[in-house]
Amino acid sequence: MSESMIGKLHSMLEAREISCVELTKSYIEAAGRDNEKLNAYVTLTPETALETAKAVDKKIAAGESIGLLEGIPMTLKDNISTENIRTTCCSKILEDYVPIYDATVWKLLKAQNAVLLGKTNMDEFAMGSSCETSYFGGAKNPHNLGHVAGGSSGGVASAVGGNIAVYGLGSDTGGSIRQPASFCGIVGMKPTYGAVSRFGLIAYASSFDQIGPITTSVEDTAIVYDAVSEYDPMDSTSQGRKGAPVCDTLKKDIKGMKIGIASEYMDGVRDDVRQAVENAAEIYRSLGAEIVYFDLPALKYALPVYYILACAEASSNLGRYDGIRYGYKAERYTDVNDMIKKTRSTGFGEEVKRRILLGTYVLSSGYYDAYYKKAQNLRGTIVNAFKKAFESCDVILAPTVPMTAFENGHAVSDPVETYLTDICTVPVNIAGLPGVSVPCGYNAKGMPIGMQLIGNSFCEAKILNAAWQYENAANIYRAADFGVKI
Amino acid sequence: MVEKEEIMKIAILSKLFVADDEIEKLTEDMSRIISFADTINNAADEGVEFDNINNLCNVLREDEVKPSCDREKILKNAKDSDEGCFLVKNIMK
Repeated sequence: MSESMIGKLHSMLEAREISCVELTKSYIEAAGRDNEKLNAYVTLTPETALETAKAVDKKIAAGESIGLLEGIPMTLKDNISTENIRTTCCSKILEDYVPIYDATVWKLLKAQNAVLLGKTNMDEFAMGSSCETSYFGGAKNPHNLGHVAGGSSGGVASAVGGNIAVYGLGSDTGGSIRQPASFCGIVGMKPTYGAVSRFGLIAYASSFDQIGPITTSVEDTAIVYDAVSEYDPMDSTSQGRKGAPVCDTLKKDIKGMKIGIASEYMDGVRDDVRQAVENAAEIYRSLGAEIVYFDLPALKYALPVYYILACAEASSNLGRYDGIRYGYKAERYTDVNDMIKKTRSTGFGEEVKRRILLGTYVLSSGYYDAYYKKAQNLRGTIVNAFKKAFESCDVILAPTVPMTAFENGHAVSDPVETYLTDICTVPVNIAGLPGVSVPCGYNAKGMPIGMQLIGNSFCEAKILNAAWQYENAANIYRAADFGVKI
Repeated sequence: MVEKEEIMKIAILSKLFVADDEIEKLTEDMSRIISFADTINNAADEGVEFDNINNLCNVLREDEVKPSCDREKILKNAKDSDEGCFLVKNIMK
């Protein structure tokens, strides 16, 4: 089984087998060395990391007890605001932007003395599936540097999969946590919409965006989720976690649990991925769960619905980048309008501009009803279809991505073909549901395969319980040959 | 099929310039993306109105006076500022 790295390091710190400064230094050193190959970090913060580590050591020396996440080296995706630490969204337009406040998730972790190693790479404004739209170049897959880490939270997945961070927080708008976690052979969860505060997360598509953990084990995902799922008055859509901490029920028996498989999720999936997911279903049967099969025809329209609505929201959210208050500003211009246009045209990358244009198109008069309104109605249909599905099962089992990690440069050539690879991840964002990706095998070339467990709203405890039982029985995780070895 | 002129119009609304050597490729990409988006028009509209996710409702609270962000700190991120204000080229003669 994949043990909890957070739990292990916590015990080592408590038993004084290693000091927090020693632990932090080993991660800083490994990050400095391996980042040249992985390109996972875009900003390293060794000074603040060591400062926190010293404070933790002081507490331990004084005989005080420490929390589970205290002193554990971690990272944040570079769209999560960090006061006095540059937050770029991996875009030229925010290259030198330094937030003046912390995102709520970072505030919560900082209060627990989390050791921030640095900020990680991502597709520009989280728009992409390979991390290659990043202004700083893409993050690489720790299992094979010739492949991408995935996107958009590719840097977090590369850092955690490459053992140069114990855990990280990413964001997931259409699969951006689960897909890179799947590609890098680790665990990543997109919580229910509203479970984790979005305050301080630089917006892409506000009704889809959600922050969540990326870790090497299910237990670590549960620990981090419990730590950040608090109600936040600063986010008007925040609801916080409902019910007891998910760690309380993580290792519960799953006898009699109903696990659903929808045929639509298995269509067009590559053979190696399909086989791995079918093997997982067998393991669930052996654990006493019941597999139920059904159809979810509404999923047929999930991809265009997602791209229409997400781009519409993005075109509006990204209207704020005008060069006046923060970020890049064009150098030569004739008037204010010219300045804004030049700033945006040189500050944004190609994919971001394409999505702004698509979003503006579907919202413009004459097209609003045919695209935006129609897509909104279909969103309602998809929400209802999931509601009905959860009347006959507890969790849904599906592939996370129809294939394993793309080779470098493959995703950037054809935008529509790349959009199609998000087929298994976007439905969860459309319906605001929680979904976790768990490693479930490796293909013949040694590239990781991930499966997804999807739950009803605020049922994180259930999907993590199912995920933990599978992980414990299947024993799939293989550490990549990078980073700190403990 | 999307025409070049339409892309130019959308670009103006989006406050983006499209260079002459970019327009062909962009029109082609946008045409493909929009015909992909068009597939939703094959779906029967079941008339389900979508309001919001997970039964969210308006969040109301007492209006309280709280300290705001520091002006100097905010202005640090601006490329041009003057006398505590963001500086832009004049918009009226």
